[in-house]
Amino acid sequence: MKLSLDWWSVILALAAIGLVMAGAMPHIPW
Amino acid sequence: MNLLRKLPGILLLAVIGYAGKFTEQSIAAYGKAHHTALPNIEYVLWAIIFGLLIANTVRVPALFRPGVDTYEFWLKIGIVFLGVRFVVGDVVKLGGASLLFVAIELGVSIALMTWLGKKFQLSPKLTSLLAIGSSICGVSAIIAAKGAIDADDEDASYAMAAVLALGAFSLFAFPAIGHALGMNDKMFGMWAGLAVDNTAEATAAGTLFSDTAGKFAVLAKTARNATIGFVVLGYAIYWAKQSQAKEIARKGAFLWEKFPKFVLGFLLVSLMATLGWFTKPQAADIANLSRWAFLLTFAGVGLRTDLREMKKQGMRPFVVGAIGEFAIAGLTLAMIVGAAPLLGL
Repeated sequence: MKLSLDWWSVILALAAIGLVMAGAMPHIPW
Repeated sequence: MNLLRKLPGILLLAVIGYAGKFTEQSIAAYGKAHHTALPNIEYVLWAIIFGLLIANTVRVPALFRPGVDTYEFWLKIGIVFLGVRFVVGDVVKLGGASLLFVAIELGVSIALMTWLGKKFQLSPKLTSLLAIGSSICGVSAIIAAKGAIDADDEDASYAMAAVLALGAFSLFAFPAIGHALGMNDKMFGMWAGLAVDNTAEATAAGTLFSDTAGKFAVLAKTARNATIGFVVLGYAIYWAKQSQAKEIARKGAFLWEKFPKFVLGFLLVSLMATLGWFTKPQAADIANLSRWAFLLTFAGVGLRTDLREMKKQGMRPFVVGAIGEFAIAGLTLAMIVGAAPLLGL
């Protein structure tokens, strides 16, 4: 089954959040 | 490969977005160094202006277009990240109120647009598309409805051009009106989220007013987006009854298919934040990720606004859309102001 872009946006965002929680992403300034 | 084709355009979004941020910071730094009070023009506006300039002078070269078209994808990612800045209680209270406002907005918009469509002799399906586009979610709602009600390509592109032109206008008009009326951040954000077409434009209009207003604009607009399936289904049933569109057999599956899934991501992240799953620095990092994702979106808003293309579409759908939008803007403003004490805005 091909996932829609809508689902991909959720998956990517959650993956990035997972990396932040695991401390695997450097501090992100604004 | 698909991603490789998109890369140049994504880089262009990043460069334009960052140029907007850099310009805002540079002007502020110059003013501070020279002890001069310069007007603070937000990065959002700079990014949109730079994008508009490119799109309407040199035009976006074909190499960059596939990547530029991803700007809505970044918007959705940004909205999921933004969940970190909401507690579930706020989402339920303000999102629920937004849903009630959207229901009223829908009723008024459909009645008004249908009447205006007849007055201006627009085709009934174009009128349906304009009503859906202006009451719910702009372009994505029109695309979702187009297939479901079997509308012509031409009607869909008219409706999209009208909604995009009005979205571009609202982007500049709403913050000015909000400041003139002395609205606070929450009230303005809710108003922009309920009245400005297109999620990207609503987010930009809110953020132009203030960071907090941008956050509340996203909340109200997300609630509005969540209703997309129901409205499109309603119209599909209406046009099927007129024997001018296919009957929808599995209505539940249709609703699920049209439901914007990023809303679920937004709710999940907000729930995680409410349960205290993030430390303060983590929550700040996720909120910043959301800002960076929106930055790409704002650059895309400018880049995809082609004023010449809009001019070609003619005035009538635009006039109908504009009258409807003014009415919706007035109605939603009245609802927000009226409900402000109840909602703690």
